[in-house]
Amino acid sequence: MSSVSFRKLEKNYGALRIVKGINLEIADREFVVLVGPSGCGKSTTLRMLAGLESISGGEIRIGERVVNKLPPRERDIAMVFQDYALYPHKTVYENMAFSLKVRGIPSAEIKPRITQASEMLGITQLLERKPSQLSGGQRQRVAMGRAIVRRPQVFLFDEPLSNLDAKLRGQVRTEIKRLHQAIGTTIIYVTHDQVEAMTLADRIVILKGGEIEQVGTPDEVYNSPASVFVGGFIGSPAMNFAKGTIRGGQVMFDGGAGIPLQGHLALKPGGLEGRDVIVGIRPEHFMPAGEGHALSGQVQVVEPLGSDTLIHFALGSSMLTARVAPEMRPSPGETLSIGVDPSRIHLFDAATEKALV
Amino acid sequence: MAMASETTLVTTRNESGTKWWTRFLDPSEGTLAVLLLMPAALLLTLIIVYPVCRLIWTSFQNLSLTSGVPATFAGLENYTLMLEDPVFWETTWNTVLITLITVPGALLIGMALALMANLPFNVKWPVRLSLLIPWALPLSFAGLIFAWFFHSEYGVVNDVLRRLGIEGVIWFNSANWAFAAICLTIIWKTSSFMALIILAGLQTIPRSLYEAADVDGAGRLRQFFEITLPLLKPAIVVALIFRTITALQTFDIPFTMTRGGPGTSTATLAMYIHQNTVDFLDLGYGSALAVVMFALSMGVTAIYLRMIRAKG
Repeated sequence: MSSVSFRKLEKNYGALRIVKGINLEIADREFVVLVGPSGCGKSTTLRMLAGLESISGGEIRIGERVVNKLPPRERDIAMVFQDYALYPHKTVYENMAFSLKVRGIPSAEIKPRITQASEMLGITQLLERKPSQLSGGQRQRVAMGRAIVRRPQVFLFDEPLSNLDAKLRGQVRTEIKRLHQAIGTTIIYVTHDQVEAMTLADRIVILKGGEIEQVGTPDEVYNSPASVFVGGFIGSPAMNFAKGTIRGGQVMFDGGAGIPLQGHLALKPGGLEGRDVIVGIRPEHFMPAGEGHALSGQVQVVEPLGSDTLIHFALGSSMLTARVAPEMRPSPGETLSIGVDPSRIHLFDAATEKALV
Repeated sequence: MAMASETTLVTTRNESGTKWWTRFLDPSEGTLAVLLLMPAALLLTLIIVYPVCRLIWTSFQNLSLTSGVPATFAGLENYTLMLEDPVFWETTWNTVLITLITVPGALLIGMALALMANLPFNVKWPVRLSLLIPWALPLSFAGLIFAWFFHSEYGVVNDVLRRLGIEGVIWFNSANWAFAAICLTIIWKTSSFMALIILAGLQTIPRSLYEAADVDGAGRLRQFFEITLPLLKPAIVVALIFRTITALQTFDIPFTMTRGGPGTSTATLAMYIHQNTVDFLDLGYGSALAVVMFALSMGVTAIYLRMIRAKG
């Protein structure tokens, strides 16, 4: 087990800069998720750490070793690939044993290691099968088993759940978390799915355009997003955004409605006076009418989800979504009166889109 | 009353008409399959099944166009004659030897060429083109070109040997050297075909398998034997089947290079069939020889297919 650090890590393809000087320290035994949209550089960063891509600049350390020029086999890492990359002509046992055989580990030691890993993952009955005889979820487990038997310093996961259906994804996600709790090895996990990031990570690293947008615990990135991008990326349904201006201790929307600044936001209203802002409100922070600060808008679409209801409504020129109690079922076209907790809104600078408070 | 009978008439016509047209325009899946396969089946019957049946039938006949005697049924006479014919045994042995030398030779060189062509070149087309050219060249052209290469006085091979201080060889005067020259030419000509099939196989192996092997700690050589070679097996078997069948039918290259000489030392079974049927017009015996070659090709194909099934 080991720590990992990226210092001014860069990756360029000709003039195209994919990763732009990332600095990140990952502690021993930590579960860090790199998350971001397609093309943000998350997979490239992971592949540079694995040694599957050369680095254009900066430094990567695993433990105390600088691994910039080391081939993958000398980095003491194990990787679970997006397509699992199981050797199709080998049985599950042979797949799991391959890396151990290559490293010259005697058969007497290989067998108990595979038995232990396969019992942990519940794949003991699959050991004699070929990958083509396995379901997607079973292949996923075998890929994890292949990584586990190695007992590496760091596990790398490259979008490992993206080929599974929604139900299976939930199950395997839980298994990965259980696995980390059991073995405690450092895990670096890449995904574009914010739910995976929130549920699995000790810390989330949000990437955008090859740069780190924010690093924090799931609570931190959810409750204190550093930018409009993070606010919109983390949370489902996504955070609502509406343009407004700070006037007299309130944020005023273009339709004339306003929300008073409270809590931590009220601490520097003087400094923000007259400033154009983007207001972020999470759908789940709306309240029934009569609670919090009242807002009203015209209902556009109502989506009952069973556990709760999503109401899409117009506030001035902005479309907002509120997640409310399931029994609240306004009709489209109706004027909605709804409350919002002023202490839970987020303010971002309209020009830089960075958090103001 | 008149209206009613008119209606009945129209309905009947519609029913029968609908049935016929429906079956033709909207056939069932089975009927459609038969309809689509029909042209190919007819064509195959016409150009393969009928000639093969006719060939087998002719092999049981005494049919020599030079004798002026009409064809008579000869039973197994042509086949027993064959067993006592030393030229048949010599040409068959030459054919088998050419197959045993050139097929593995072309496989090894084709594999090396395919691995090279699969390297991440910035510009791929010159590599692919250099693979395609020997394959696209007609066999007789290749034979003529290499006959000049191996020419004892003006050939490039002897010229290079002399420059290296080695005395040149009169290639086509010696049975062994002539045979070697033919085998080298066939390997050059056919390894590009092997390379193209193996290259297609190589490109179906996902890159992530090599990345996984890299992470697992396997070096390049181990990756080749543990990943590339096992996953190429289907492509290799297909290439071997095609190449072995064409090797058993070798004709053009020895024909253009040596005409089977010196003597009949480099003659192949196909050349002997050609000699009997085209030069001597002995269609009965020539057909019997062709049936043996056909059986040999089918036998080899069956062995390969059984190997695939057994290991699959």
